[in-house]
Amino acid sequence: MIVQKYPGADGLAGTTLRINLTTGEIKSLPTDTRLMREWFGGRGAIAKIIYDEVPRDADPLGPKNLFIMSAGVMSGCFIPAGAKIGFGSVSPLTNGHGDSNMGGHLGPTLKFAGYDMVIMSGIAPKPSYLFIDDDVVELRDASQYWGMGSLECEPALKKDLGEDFEIATIGPAAENGILFSCITHDFGRQAGRTGQGAVMGSKKLKAIAVRGTGGIKVHDLAGLTEHVTAIIKRTQTHPNMEPWQKYGTAFFIDWSNKNAVIPTRNFQTTHYENIDGINGEALVEKCLITHKACFGCWMNCGKYTKAVIPGKKTVYLEGPEYETGALCGSNLGMTDINQVAYLNWLLDNVGMDTMSGGGVIAFGMECFQRGLITTDDLEGHTLNWGSVEDAEHFVDMIVNRRGIGDWFAGGTKRAAEKIGRDSIKFAMQVKGQEMSGYDGRHAPGMLLAYMTCDIGAHHNRAWTITVDMAEGRDTVEGRAKVVVYLQHIRPLFDCWCICRLFWGELDIEPEEIVESLNHITGWNIDTAEALKTSEKVWNLVRCHYLERNRANGRTFDYPPARSWEDKIPTGPSAGKGVSKEQVETMLDEYYACRGWDNDGNPSREVLHDLKLDFAADNLEKIGLLGKPLPDGIPAVRGERYKPKAF
Amino acid sequence: MIIFLKAGGQLRTLLKPDIDHYTRRVEIDGLKTVAEILEEIDVNPALVALIHVDGKLKDFSYKPSDGQTITLQPPVSGG
Repeated sequence: MIVQKYPGADGLAGTTLRINLTTGEIKSLPTDTRLMREWFGGRGAIAKIIYDEVPRDADPLGPKNLFIMSAGVMSGCFIPAGAKIGFGSVSPLTNGHGDSNMGGHLGPTLKFAGYDMVIMSGIAPKPSYLFIDDDVVELRDASQYWGMGSLECEPALKKDLGEDFEIATIGPAAENGILFSCITHDFGRQAGRTGQGAVMGSKKLKAIAVRGTGGIKVHDLAGLTEHVTAIIKRTQTHPNMEPWQKYGTAFFIDWSNKNAVIPTRNFQTTHYENIDGINGEALVEKCLITHKACFGCWMNCGKYTKAVIPGKKTVYLEGPEYETGALCGSNLGMTDINQVAYLNWLLDNVGMDTMSGGGVIAFGMECFQRGLITTDDLEGHTLNWGSVEDAEHFVDMIVNRRGIGDWFAGGTKRAAEKIGRDSIKFAMQVKGQEMSGYDGRHAPGMLLAYMTCDIGAHHNRAWTITVDMAEGRDTVEGRAKVVVYLQHIRPLFDCWCICRLFWGELDIEPEEIVESLNHITGWNIDTAEALKTSEKVWNLVRCHYLERNRANGRTFDYPPARSWEDKIPTGPSAGKGVSKEQVETMLDEYYACRGWDNDGNPSREVLHDLKLDFAADNLEKIGLLGKPLPDGIPAVRGERYKPKAF
Repeated sequence: MIIFLKAGGQLRTLLKPDIDHYTRRVEIDGLKTVAEILEEIDVNPALVALIHVDGKLKDFSYKPSDGQTITLQPPVSGG
């Protein structure tokens, strides 16, 4: 059908689609410019819509959950690396707000087609895909694609529709409701975290295909051109650029190992003896074919590679980048980069997040190591460290929910609850989401960042390893204010849908990013307002989590007991670790810094300051509104760590 | 002997550039390793992830020659 389109405010495409997948009804509406202004689009707008519209008792995999795609206000505009698109829903993995984003070309293309956001509800009666070709929007039959791997479905759709369609797909994992399933686009860009693929699969939505030929009007093109040209010129000669272009993020594997933060064999230790086989140099030497970039970016940090393992077909993929290299490499005891790349391809194709996927396989391997699961549970197979064959078989059990594979389909936390025998101690997750590729036992700020991350353990909201190193890795005091600041500045990239690697790692100051935003939108905001809006999003997501999970916030903010019970056994940080008392101290400081009470519940005062009185009322009704703080709330929550901005 | 150290991000501030926005001129006595040079100018080597010279990776034991430019890359979080 041809939908009605609406003119966009500066920086916006103009139209929002609401699609009822159950009935097939497609509505086009003017994009809510007030929502975009007050919540910054992307993650922020998604969080507000989910808070307002999804009932608190809605099953994340049921028809009442929404599945939202938003391209934000900066994506697709005349700026570098404005390439992101965000997805959001109530997460089946954490049972709280979930969002995840990815680069590639889909975000800009959605806006070029005329749409800022697509809000989907219900469940399609049969496998379907969303077809958007400028004004034409349709739900089409996807029966012929259902069951295909993510990496197989994308070329199949391109063959059927045309190369100029940008396509996002899910794989069999999402079709089968594996809770840490991802969405794949551009043959290797993933919205991996919080199980957005599982939600898409629950709605029987196999793919989204978009072609867009329009443009985006910006507020001040001349000003934007001058401002951005200066940034482009400056960053072209930035010393970080050439290493980025050559090696991507995989080259930090060695650094993490030398500095004893790399997770090894399910976070049992932080230093890996076989690092030379899986590090960035090995990737470049053995697997790299060429470099790959997203829309409007010349950093080309993506690495197009192949994995060659004797006895298996040669596979082609994008990656592994750092997180996959760590979590599917050292964390699984793999010794050859081809093994890591193969697992990367395998998880991409079945449609599992390689971070949670790596964490889940590692947890299974440790359970096997400790005799908590045996070959009888594994259809006669072993599950040994370093065995790609064992890992592949285990993944197949999970994807198809065979035997104990069904237990692991919900991630490490749910698997540990089934396995019992204290295995929850080494289920390396917070709020149900598996940790990223850094061990926080000798990087306490990073541990706090995992503990307090609004979507479950994830490095991207706050990454403090270098702050830990600069300030002293054996102390915990003072980290909270840095974590809070980072939790405000970094998610702004996910609101505005621009890439943090470009905008955050090349000495571009936050004020320059805000100036770019102002040239695009005409909003005329300053950095303080940007940070406060991001804080508002953070607090709303916290309230949403408490309203769904109905207990004091502190209850949910603890890492697994390994984090304080087990000292690091080997490597440069041998004997190091945080104590339970230090964990409590960090939480105390964190809550105080946020203006939350000591139970981890936001106070009315801070919610009022953020214009979230409605959320305070809702918390009060369920007895989870934070108690007033004796000394009031801090005037500014969080503190920028200098010299590092991000 | 004069060498030039170049860095961006957090390292840039620690390096205290004096030639341009990213570059510091450092005078050293004889051949020294990058590790020794960083210690002399009080830059924590833990905050250096990569050492890049003439388009190639080097390690902390590398001894720069007169006039060389050494690019230091800070660590960043994975994507």
